[in-house]
Amino acid sequence: MKSRTVSLLLMLPALLLLAAVFLYPLLRYGWLSLQASSVLTGLVPVPNGGANWGRLLDDARFWTDAAQTLRFALCSVALELLGGLALALLLHRPLRGRGPLRALTLLPWALPTTVMALGWRWIFNDPHGPLNAAIRSLGGSSYGFLSTPSTTWFFVVLADVWKTMPFVALLLLAGLQTIPADLEEALRLEGACRLQILRRLTLPLLVPYLSLALLFRLAQALGVFDLIQVLTGGGPAGSTESLALYAYLNAMRFLDFGYASTVMLATFLLLLVSLGGGWLLLRRHGLERTTEQAT
Amino acid sequence: MRLLVLLWSLGPLLWQLRTSLLRPEALVAPLLDGNPWTLANYQLVLSGDPPFWRYLTNSTLVGLATTLLTLLLAVPCAYGLQRLRGPLRWGVGLALVAAAMFPTVLLFLALLEIARSIGLANNLLALSLPYTALSLPLAVLLLRAAFADLPRELEDAARLEGLGLGQRLRFVLLPLLGPALASTAILVFLASWNEYAIALTWISRSDLLTLPIAIARIGGGSVFTIPYGAFAAATVLGSLPLLLLVLLAQRSIVSGLTRGAVKG
Repeated sequence: MKSRTVSLLLMLPALLLLAAVFLYPLLRYGWLSLQASSVLTGLVPVPNGGANWGRLLDDARFWTDAAQTLRFALCSVALELLGGLALALLLHRPLRGRGPLRALTLLPWALPTTVMALGWRWIFNDPHGPLNAAIRSLGGSSYGFLSTPSTTWFFVVLADVWKTMPFVALLLLAGLQTIPADLEEALRLEGACRLQILRRLTLPLLVPYLSLALLFRLAQALGVFDLIQVLTGGGPAGSTESLALYAYLNAMRFLDFGYASTVMLATFLLLLVSLGGGWLLLRRHGLERTTEQAT
Repeated sequence: MRLLVLLWSLGPLLWQLRTSLLRPEALVAPLLDGNPWTLANYQLVLSGDPPFWRYLTNSTLVGLATTLLTLLLAVPCAYGLQRLRGPLRWGVGLALVAAAMFPTVLLFLALLEIARSIGLANNLLALSLPYTALSLPLAVLLLRAAFADLPRELEDAARLEGLGLGQRLRFVLLPLLGPALASTAILVFLASWNEYAIALTWISRSDLLTLPIAIARIGGGSVFTIPYGAFAAATVLGSLPLLLLVLLAQRSIVSGLTRGAVKG
């Protein structure tokens, strides 16, 4: 057998499973989004001539959720990159007990999201949670961290940052380990201070890792689901509802599979557009920076 | 600085530990008399129906099955991909990266339909099928990078010795991939242990729930009725295995992700 055929045969089982789990759902949603398939039709798909997509365009809740999801994703990814960078720089330095320290900082990422979402719910609890207890002991009055529609989204971001920052830090740590120590030494001998080394050497060389972390985390954050479902259930007053949660509710609570498929597909398209935008932005700025550095 | 980082990472967990050891009354107001500490929350969780350890074994079972199946499929795929030349290699690589980034919650509805139509709902082991698919992209990318690190001459020599493909993989290449296999296995296990959306929709029988779903259910009531003490005890029990795993396999996890990031 030709070597190429062997390679393809070896890859076939994995690729088939991947196609069934990733590709089929997208095709299925494409088809379902053109059907009415809800309690009204007895859950039997009936073609409805694109009515789902028309409904989507007029669905204020969808567009509110889209804006909220984008706000959540941008804020949490930005904070994760900043915090993750700081954490990676710290973990990269030769400290005593670095191994256990790395392991312990990694722990939030390794725990199931639901576990810590409920943990945060207790920490944010009004009035019995530790945060409010601390505020009261300082003379303030209890704050509804999870019941104030204008600010709750930020505390959801905080919980997400806590959980995924270690992952970003780890990716960046990988990047830091590829930077030769003598380059840093050379700059230091030239009289550069730490901040200058960071700006002139470390950051430019980290650009590929920062881009990877940014794109990967952006995709995940735009699909945020379990954290929000458990921490706030989308509330208060729908102010933290994400697109994925809305799609889930359409399918599992309103039992409207046609529209749920439409929402999921639309979410996927928005995701593609955001990632594409991010990618173009990175290429323009990231590459310029790196080439500038190289010349 | 170190202390600050530890406080940030572990603070919320330590607070759970404290909560889990307090009597319910002590959570709401400082007790005027008596000892506020108790193990009753743990007793409650462990004597529930089904007892809490059932969820741990469920998750472990699914995790192990997923890890095994993923490695079985990912190793040949990574090897094939590494040997492949031409645009297909590039295309498959790109598709794998895209799949690795895909937010999996968007897949649940179609997967649920499949599960229902072929009777896989409420089947613990069947969960490892979609889990395997979700883990495959990253696993293949990590293992391909590991295959690429092996010197080409090694395999050529083995071929000249007359070893077939299976033998070369089993006796020459795989033994050298030990560390990469270990770190891939750990990452796959973690991902499957923590998955939520698919387990939530596939499993409804309470004795088959995986840990994340069980914990979400314990806290499923309204904010005011959550038995926080019992829940915190469940959190602590559910975190312990992961704490052990992370402490023991820290090096593996870091090197696995490192390699993936460098080559990916």
